[in-house]
Amino acid sequence: MANILIVDDSSTMRKIISRSLRQAGLPVDDIVEAGDGIEGMNALQTSGKQIDLILSDINMPNMDGLEFVKAARAGGFEMPIVMITTEGGEDIIAEAIASGAKDSIKKPFTPEQLNEKLGGLL
Amino acid sequence: MSLNSEISESMSFNEQQLAEYVINATREVFSTMVMMDLGDDFPLKDPITHFKCSITGMVGFAGTYSGVISIHCPVNLAKKITCAMLGMEEEEVEDGGEDLNDAIGEIANMLGGSVKMILSKGGLDVKLSIPTVIAGEDYTVNSLSDIDCVVIPFSAENDRFLVGLTLKKEE
Repeated sequence: MANILIVDDSSTMRKIISRSLRQAGLPVDDIVEAGDGIEGMNALQTSGKQIDLILSDINMPNMDGLEFVKAARAGGFEMPIVMITTEGGEDIIAEAIASGAKDSIKKPFTPEQLNEKLGGLL
Repeated sequence: MSLNSEISESMSFNEQQLAEYVINATREVFSTMVMMDLGDDFPLKDPITHFKCSITGMVGFAGTYSGVISIHCPVNLAKKITCAMLGMEEEEVEDGGEDLNDAIGEIANMLGGSVKMILSKGGLDVKLSIPTVIAGEDYTVNSLSDIDCVVIPFSAENDRFLVGLTLKKEE
């Protein structure tokens, strides 16, 4: 069972992702939430849990998803990071992958799409 | 309410095609995230800028194109949308509460992301703003400049809401 960190400035989207992960039948144990990249870094450094997968938005205030991916990798966190975002542009996704993200999922999404993208990472 | 030729040519979309794209994007958001089927009644016969007991979610574009995509929704329908998105009961959703505002803002955000896909293939030359939500018993939403727009009325749950898109091609 995996612990997952969800980084998204929308509390609605964090709730939808949490519910969809469970509906998709993925082996989810605990879900940790963060409202931006800064909170995401704090969660990685202080939650005391081993995070197995990070799902991060891109367009967020304070520290966006691209900066967060770079900060997480610079901090030595090596778990897979998948961007869940409305930003489907090829160059943005390429920048996220080049920064250390594993994959991306476009919003809106279905639980089946989550399962397809995340099943092999958990 | 129309799309001028400069925007049409640069996007390779005429007004009808842009409206159909926004209609399909809105239907996709509602079918996957809200589990709600929508009807549409494009074109809108008269402009609507004045709203009562409503909530408006907006996301701005900046870069090679500027503009705003917005959803204007009666509060009662917005509560049903919020309940469907979050699996809540209607009495749990407060007027002006975080869940209501966040849900409508997130719908605007997803619509903004879909429209951005046709404005910028790579995604780096057009930026999306963080969503803004306003709500009230009686308010007016106007664009300060006379820029091109497409407005689409939708029906859901025996109620109506609007999705509007204003766009300007920057030099």
